[in-house]
Amino acid sequence: MIPQFLISSVRKSPRFIIIIHWPATLLILALGLVFGACSSQPDPNTIRMGVAQAPTNLDPRYATDATSARINRLLYSRLVDFEQDATPVPSLATWVQQSPTHYVFTLRDHVPEFHNGQGVTSQDIKATYESILSPHNASPHRGVLHIIDRMETPSDTEISFYLKRTDPFFPSYLVIGILPANLIANRHPFSDHPIGNGPFRFLDRPDETRVRLVRQTDGQLVEFLRIPDPTVRVLKLLAGEIQLLQNDLPPELVAYLANQPTLHLQQSRGANFAYLGFNHQDPLTGNILVRQAIAHAINREDIIRYVFQNRARQAQALFPPDHWAGPVQLTGYPYDPDRARTLLAEAGFGISHRPTLIYKTSTDPFRLRLATIIQDQLSRVGIDVVIQSHDWGTFYGDIKTGRFQMYSLAWVGVKTPDIFRYAFHSQSIPPTGANRGRFASPIADHLIEQAEVSTNRTEQRTLYHDLQVHFLETLPYIPLWFEDHICFSSTEITGYRLESDGNFDGLLQVQRNTSTTHVASIRSPAI
Amino acid sequence: MTAFLMTRLSSTLIGILGVLCLVFLLIHLIPGDPVEVMLGESALQADKEALRHSLGLNLPLHQQWWDYMRSLLRLDLGHSLFSGRPILDLLVERIPATLYLSLVSLTIAITLALPLGLLAATHKHQPWDLGAMGFALLGMSIPNFWLGPILILVGSLWLGWFPVSGQEGWNAVLLPALTLGTAMAAILARMVRSSLLETLGEDFLRTAQAKGLSPTRILLVHALPNSLLPILTLLGLQLGGLLGGAVITETVFAWPGLGLLMIEAIQQRDYPVVQAAVLCISLTYILVNLLTDVVYAWLDPRIQFKRP
Amino acid sequence: MTMRLWFPASIVILWGGLALVSPLLPLNPHAIDLANILTPPGATTWLGYDDLGRSIADRLATGAQTSFIVALAVVFLGVTLGGLLGATSGYLSGWVDHIFVRIVDILLAFPGLLLAIALAAALGPGIENVIVALSLTGWVGYARLARAQVLSLKQADHVVAARAIGTSTWRILTRHLLPLLTAPLIVEASFGIAGAIIAEAGLSFLGLGVQPPEASWGSMIRDGTRYMLVAPHLVIIPGMTLMLVVLAANLLGDWLRDWLDIKDQVGKR
Repeated sequence: MIPQFLISSVRKSPRFIIIIHWPATLLILALGLVFGACSSQPDPNTIRMGVAQAPTNLDPRYATDATSARINRLLYSRLVDFEQDATPVPSLATWVQQSPTHYVFTLRDHVPEFHNGQGVTSQDIKATYESILSPHNASPHRGVLHIIDRMETPSDTEISFYLKRTDPFFPSYLVIGILPANLIANRHPFSDHPIGNGPFRFLDRPDETRVRLVRQTDGQLVEFLRIPDPTVRVLKLLAGEIQLLQNDLPPELVAYLANQPTLHLQQSRGANFAYLGFNHQDPLTGNILVRQAIAHAINREDIIRYVFQNRARQAQALFPPDHWAGPVQLTGYPYDPDRARTLLAEAGFGISHRPTLIYKTSTDPFRLRLATIIQDQLSRVGIDVVIQSHDWGTFYGDIKTGRFQMYSLAWVGVKTPDIFRYAFHSQSIPPTGANRGRFASPIADHLIEQAEVSTNRTEQRTLYHDLQVHFLETLPYIPLWFEDHICFSSTEITGYRLESDGNFDGLLQVQRNTSTTHVASIRSPAI
Repeated sequence: MTAFLMTRLSSTLIGILGVLCLVFLLIHLIPGDPVEVMLGESALQADKEALRHSLGLNLPLHQQWWDYMRSLLRLDLGHSLFSGRPILDLLVERIPATLYLSLVSLTIAITLALPLGLLAATHKHQPWDLGAMGFALLGMSIPNFWLGPILILVGSLWLGWFPVSGQEGWNAVLLPALTLGTAMAAILARMVRSSLLETLGEDFLRTAQAKGLSPTRILLVHALPNSLLPILTLLGLQLGGLLGGAVITETVFAWPGLGLLMIEAIQQRDYPVVQAAVLCISLTYILVNLLTDVVYAWLDPRIQFKRP
Repeated sequence: MTMRLWFPASIVILWGGLALVSPLLPLNPHAIDLANILTPPGATTWLGYDDLGRSIADRLATGAQTSFIVALAVVFLGVTLGGLLGATSGYLSGWVDHIFVRIVDILLAFPGLLLAIALAAALGPGIENVIVALSLTGWVGYARLARAQVLSLKQADHVVAARAIGTSTWRILTRHLLPLLTAPLIVEASFGIAGAIIAEAGLSFLGLGVQPPEASWGSMIRDGTRYMLVAPHLVIIPGMTLMLVVLAANLLGDWLRDWLDIKDQVGKR
């Protein structure tokens, strides 16, 4: 490693010469490394998006977290998609309902090929859903799709779904990305090397922080960068290192960015339901009085006003009032610390006997901040809270497997009321579904089942209304709020549209303006 | 010289063995059941047992130690509990970044420290000296986890000269290297000053002066090289601080090196990776120190009469 | 030259005083007031409020207490344990000393904060574990210093004389050697305080120190970095405080060293 001339010079001259060359040697080494290690200059044509969490699973059969789901939407196509108002519409295939329990889906003409060049056939669809349904694979989506009794493929473009019972929402369950049948059979590692037929092709994952996709239509490179720290995300956006930033920003930074001339802000009412979840088998959180006390102890109004700076709205139920299944005019639990203390006393707690709760959350600073505020508000009514924050993977793993007493999380991108079976039915306990708190209510089960077999929209709406009223009484979750969607894009790109559910589909249209060079004109904040 | 080398080598070996012991015992320091800490308190019993077996924690301690040493000899560091990847791969991926950052920091530290120390020594008790030493003291007192954010604020944000974090762009290394190099430059500058002052008082320099050599020549050709020996030792020792400080600096700048790997592993309760990272960094440090001593002994023949 | 003493001494006294009286002051370091979120410093708002609307002045004071407790405990344990062990080992020499030197060498083979970080990670967060981790790594320096001093003092006339008249080892150590060790150990300890303050803040910065909602200057800096763009005072205030105290401890160490050296020379004449 030491250049030859240095060694020879040492031999000839007094011994200390080598020390004089110490810095020089290091400089040479360092320069060598500068050019060696940093050959990967950022490509000026790539469009980069900063995300708070890296996708945990790029296999749509297993993915459940929001980032994975949003990226998988780009990599894979599905049979059915949604309109703006949450009604299902054909995507890969159109469908006909032959009988209450028999649906026939027909692939559209000119369906794009899989990224490995294979054509998409009904066999692929069958194989995808069969592998989800196989108990052996323990897919988290199995619970909802369990309704499928069997599938038949009369031709390459046709597939029949026979159901175990009627379900008016059945088409809206078929939103999982389709994988090639032969690769499923070969146990292809889709999470590492996704192969679908979506508008984007997977390029690579150069390290744990980056995922690169290629747009099929024009070869545009899109890169997702995991940047856990929101300030760093913002700084990178301001410095032009990324061009897009969507959600997961503390409201103070949103306000700050909104004042930047080089950025474009898009904002819309969100429908992602933030809640407090509980373990219903725990003696403390399984007690309805304790949960009601917690609900009364949290001052959501103040949190929304001061912390969210009004970029959120209170939630009383899983669906917002503007969703067709969302209940209107529910009163919920107003902030009432005295009532909370009374409820706690009824549950047998008091000043000398304060309950202690373990509250799990991710290490995301904003989530941690909200958790600390909730901790403070609960301690004021006499509940001690211990916050345990873990990195996203560990935290989400703990939640999925039911290792928690209390936690906060949000349901992201939920469109159809099948969420109620998935998250609250007593038969949806993991790994079959997402009833992670092991909530069990015969009334809820009954209402869910009734609504599922009903074919009448009005009747369904009433049933779901009753169900959500029942949830507000029994509190499987404590509803918190719906955060607004925020998207900042730099002026280097155009055409990105913020979707109403916060997905990344805007990347299909986005273009990089090659002519404008980024000028770092950042206003310095006054100290 | 050979005798010195032998004693130095044997003490290095003992040091390595001791580091291995401590790193091995690290997992046993976890209060309570380490498996429970790693998997979370409500993990399934079957999962816990599986992990206990795969980590060998069910075996008697001497057996575990023996197994640990044997797998180390095969360069088998086990697998990450979090990603399931071989830990050796993780280390190999991260080493270049840390090495690169350390070398650039070292370069910055030396280029800052030499002129400062020279200036201070040649202007003893004058404003130059006070200024340089004041700066050095300040540099020693600024914690790198504060200097880092301040440099980001000024360098990346207000001036817009540097990328914020990560490894993109050729100048990305400068802010973390400056953060890491400043404290080191401070200590080094003090050392250069005191070492130089000591040399300047020696007889051979008075001879040089009497011969009528120019002051610059005396300073750069005669005094400086002769006062660099203690500085070299300090440089070796400083690398320890550098490697330790890199843990925090890498975290501040999201620099994907060994330090960040270690902190991420700590947050993920991925103790086998923590163990491996500590081991890797410490062994590097030991070897660099050995190298420094050997070079020192080679340059200064008097050394063999002293025990290090 | 009095400036060299009074500036650092007053800062250190202020720091220690604040730490000692802070339990008596009506401080509310954990009181969350949402309406005050990120209020900047001002005439009526003192040093301002943090991201949860907590008073930064109050948190700074409790943070002083945290750093004071940790620094004092770590340095005290280090000086007493390390000093005693090092002195004994140096005095006894032979195989005891040999083993001792090996142990010291092994602990010194870990670079910088690394071992403390690893220990704190294994032991779990909390102020007690920070003290344990920093003491376990910190005593070595004092031990080495004490040992080296004893080795050179052992041949001093008064020690040789004491040995000749049959004074017990323990008595020689405590009466004849330790008093002479105090001066260098005190100088080392004042630098040790600076080191311990930075180390505690560093561990807390990494999330391995005191846990929220407890206040530490390190965790205040970490939390503050998230609002650097909108509220730089969150980073600047605890950072400046930390730096001033560390600077003062270092200056005091410098001053002590010079002062004690001078006294030594006077004594010799």
